[in-house]
Amino acid sequence: MVKIHPAGIFLSQKLLRYLLSFFCILLIVFLLPRMMPGDPVSNLVGEDIYLSQSTIDSLRAAFGLDTPLHEQFIRYCLQIMHGDLGYSYHMHGPVFEILISRAWWTLVYTIPSIIIGAWIGISLGARAGFQSGKWWSDVIASIALVISSTPPYLLSLLALVLFVYHLGLFPFKGFYDTYNLQSILYHLTLPTLVLISFYASRNILIMRGAVLTEKELLYPQFARSLGIPEREILFHHIRKNAIIPLIALIALDFGFLFSGALFIEIVFSLSGMGSLMYDAILARDYPILTGSLLIIAIFVIIANITADIMSLIIDPRIRRSS
Amino acid sequence: MRKSQHKMCTLLFLILSIVSVCCSMGVMADDAILRIATTNDVKSPAFIGDYTLGLFNHLSNPPLMQMDENGKLIGLLADHYEVSPDNTEWSFVIKDNQFWSDGTPVTADDVAFSIQMYGTSIPNAGWIGETLTDTQVDGNKVTFKFNKPYTNLALEFTSYSILPKHIWESIENPNEFTSTGPYVGAGPYYLDNVDLNAGKVIFKRNPSWKGKISDYDTVEISWFKNEDAAAKALESGVMDTYWKYASSYPYAAIDSLTKTGNFEMLEKPTSGLTFLGFNLKREPMSDPAFREAVSSAINYQELVDISTLGYGKVPNRGFVPPAMDGYIQTKPMEYNLETARKTLDSAGYKDSDGNGIIEAADGKDITLDLLIRNSYAREAELMKEYLEKAGIGVEVRSVEDNTWFEMKDKLDYDITLTRTTPWGMLMHAGWATGYFDSRRTGQGVLHTVDDEVFLKLCDDILSTTDQTLLKEYAKEVQEYYAENLPGIPLYWKNDITPYNKKITGWYSNPLYGIMNEFTFTGVKSSA
Amino acid sequence: MTVVYVPSWLKKMGYTPTFCIIILGIFVYAAIFPKTISPYSPEIRFSPYGEPDENHMLGTDDMGYDILTLLIYATRISLIIGVFAGILSLCIGTSIGIASGFHQGWIDDLMMGVTDITLIIPKIPVIILIAAYLHPSIWILIIVLGLFSWETTARVVRAKTMQIRNSGFVLSSRCLGFSSFSIIIHDIIPVIYPVLLPKFMLTIAGAMISEASLSFLGLSDPMMESWGKMIADAFSHGGFIREMWWWFLPPAICICVTVLAITRIGMMYESNEPEMAFK
Repeated sequence: MVKIHPAGIFLSQKLLRYLLSFFCILLIVFLLPRMMPGDPVSNLVGEDIYLSQSTIDSLRAAFGLDTPLHEQFIRYCLQIMHGDLGYSYHMHGPVFEILISRAWWTLVYTIPSIIIGAWIGISLGARAGFQSGKWWSDVIASIALVISSTPPYLLSLLALVLFVYHLGLFPFKGFYDTYNLQSILYHLTLPTLVLISFYASRNILIMRGAVLTEKELLYPQFARSLGIPEREILFHHIRKNAIIPLIALIALDFGFLFSGALFIEIVFSLSGMGSLMYDAILARDYPILTGSLLIIAIFVIIANITADIMSLIIDPRIRRSS
Repeated sequence: MRKSQHKMCTLLFLILSIVSVCCSMGVMADDAILRIATTNDVKSPAFIGDYTLGLFNHLSNPPLMQMDENGKLIGLLADHYEVSPDNTEWSFVIKDNQFWSDGTPVTADDVAFSIQMYGTSIPNAGWIGETLTDTQVDGNKVTFKFNKPYTNLALEFTSYSILPKHIWESIENPNEFTSTGPYVGAGPYYLDNVDLNAGKVIFKRNPSWKGKISDYDTVEISWFKNEDAAAKALESGVMDTYWKYASSYPYAAIDSLTKTGNFEMLEKPTSGLTFLGFNLKREPMSDPAFREAVSSAINYQELVDISTLGYGKVPNRGFVPPAMDGYIQTKPMEYNLETARKTLDSAGYKDSDGNGIIEAADGKDITLDLLIRNSYAREAELMKEYLEKAGIGVEVRSVEDNTWFEMKDKLDYDITLTRTTPWGMLMHAGWATGYFDSRRTGQGVLHTVDDEVFLKLCDDILSTTDQTLLKEYAKEVQEYYAENLPGIPLYWKNDITPYNKKITGWYSNPLYGIMNEFTFTGVKSSA
Repeated sequence: MTVVYVPSWLKKMGYTPTFCIIILGIFVYAAIFPKTISPYSPEIRFSPYGEPDENHMLGTDDMGYDILTLLIYATRISLIIGVFAGILSLCIGTSIGIASGFHQGWIDDLMMGVTDITLIIPKIPVIILIAAYLHPSIWILIIVLGLFSWETTARVVRAKTMQIRNSGFVLSSRCLGFSSFSIIIHDIIPVIYPVLLPKFMLTIAGAMISEASLSFLGLSDPMMESWGKMIADAFSHGGFIREMWWWFLPPAICICVTVLAITRIGMMYESNEPEMAFK
């Protein structure tokens, strides 16, 4: 008998579910922007500029908003099937191109933040949980707790005032000043550090809690009685189990990496995906909004699949049961 | 395991040290750059299509007309203009000795092309396309013929940037055209680069410019996504000035900026204002006595103190602020709670059930639905307090701008708080008529007044260019506001523009503040 | 077994459940009877942008309100939003997570499908949508915050449930013929509890923070005074530019302290013994 990898079986079982969720999401991301109050056409110009009715009508037709909703949806689905996300009259360009150019810059600061945040969270959280009585463990946990109960924009603005305004270490805004590696590093360090502190502190709290639980279970006690060093127990046995709840969260972080971090972008004046989507919401830019939500949806679904597969690989208990 | 973590730590340390080296190198300052901070952000590198870029590009592609510091229209690209007696034929004579940054001279052809192009391809200039029947070029004179009279064309033409025909005629859809630059321009500077990632627009000196020049080879406009960061950037000295369309530098930030000792403030009264609008289609707002009572219930001095921190003044009943041409003195708004109560009482709004809230004719409590744009939360809070003191119940609904546009168009409110912009004060028949005339709809306007007297006044203004007549009409409009109170001005304010002390030669006009050619040909560095 | 962050210095300072109940008690008291402890009435305006002095311990804000008074009056709305949104989110998240992890099969697929979809719906447009049709109130905010923050709880709970549903004690309960419901209540919830607790705390903090963030974006109800709104006001009205830390830090500290106290009280119900092989 041919042995199929458990991940293969898993995927084939879940395919239908993911397809169905995708269709629902397609419908939601199409409808939600259109249900919001406000008119994308009249918002195309400034608030003190007058548009005549005939101009508004012709723009509405150009936007493809002059037909009934279900026809718009069908046309939208056909477009998607051809890989076309539409054209944004607010941003003056094809949605796909705009998303790519913005997403690239967003990824430059979100990916390192998630990875470093996960790494710090897992390693520090595991140690802090394992040696919970020590003073440094408490300090780490306290800092993590304070950071995760502070509004992100408050922390970002405080970082801006402290490190940029008072200490003059970093610049005020933008991804770069002149387009070169040095300038990009100079500009992105602070936003990335702030974002890392958010991811890391959340991961530390979860990881620490999980390790604390695992540590008191039978198997580490058993390992201890076998004379396995504490360090080995933590890294080879406990961490593997404690990490499972965190995997789902980190996978989700990756799923949402495209949406960027709105507050970081507002505070450090970065034109990334977060502010693109926020502007699209405020301007009722349907194509951009629908397009970016759709891409995020695809990433989140992929992230979920990956998380499921990874916990399958890490945790033999789940693997055997399915 | 431990080893690998040590490695990682070393790596992190290395990265950090590289970064700090970068930091120390990044602080090099270049003095030949004039740096302007703004919170108007460019969303797309579309020269004409992007709203904010369309404001900035007046610097590189001057419109035909501009305003002087007193609000009078003077020529910019045009030397002067003539208008036919029936106001349908407008001729603009282009100034000599103006050149595009690629060396070619600016011609009347460029002007004709640009205006026609706006009419056919730019949505917000649709009116040109609908009414412009003929364009003729004769030497350096261009004549536009319209199928109906226009009286404020010279004013309209302060906002349309003139483009080089030889570049733009090959561009199929100018409104959707995007490029990060450079763009050929005829102003003292041309637009060199729009960099969304760096968050700035860079203007370079136009090599063919023949007029006066400033001390700066480069003008950089940096946009910030929040006021706090912009203010801090100014305080730290990395920016020379701050500009935002139709807005002042945040009043709350002035003190700490002055304290740095490096900035001076340019204070100019503006024609934009914040006002309380009534839904005149609903009871009891349609009752003049009710509006009168509301106007007496508002503590104007406190509003001035809180909202403008004293950089404003109590408005007059005539709505139109003194910064506008044609302003007349009317009675100032007056806060008197007793008068408010008495006015309500004598108009038949009485609190007969003693619950502190007056009742309408049908016996129900009057609780007004105050719909606000979310930036007026503070004013709304005060308004609720003031009106409740006078016995009028208020429920505040705060929505973001676009929702507000839709709801006020549907007349789904009782009273609302909004603002006028300098341009908005001029649009339609001028003197804020555009905000009240019920025949106009769209974006920021309330279109609630359908009184024949008012509409006729608007039409009269729209049918003449005679300055003495216009002055008379302006007076009538303000008297109409003073008597009928279709909107209650809450405060008149001054726009504050901070500028680096070391730089002199700033010039400000009521329409675009310091963003004008006088500034960019006049600023001198005294450092 | 102590779970999550109890720094020992805090313990020494008396970070005991009793102490936390007292702290929370003070907040609850402030929320119910703000009048009795606030120095002034929230309607009185003094001179704006006042620095802390003997009359105003925390100075005054841009409108001249006493900041300490505002802080006390804001307690009510903040607690209601945090706790109710947290509970709503916890209930939905836990039930969906357990149902999905315990039953697996099509129930799992359905639940996780719903989770995926909810996860992707962006909050801001939904709030704009609701704000346009309903008068603003904190309950709308609570429902929105609660309904859109349970997904990660559900996923964590599901992962943990899947992990333990086949462990010895669950299997033995099954063999003994206990119903699924009883197994969930008696075997699963106690084990996943340590994971739930930090999630619950994070959700409460999250709800308070989201409320603050929405205020910052101008999307919450400006008429309701909460800690989040105080911070947002400090930013939009010059408190931050003037570096009036006595304006924006106290509400942030209040959020932090509340979260700490709630967590500690939640930990009271944990057993303190290691798992025993033979009981």
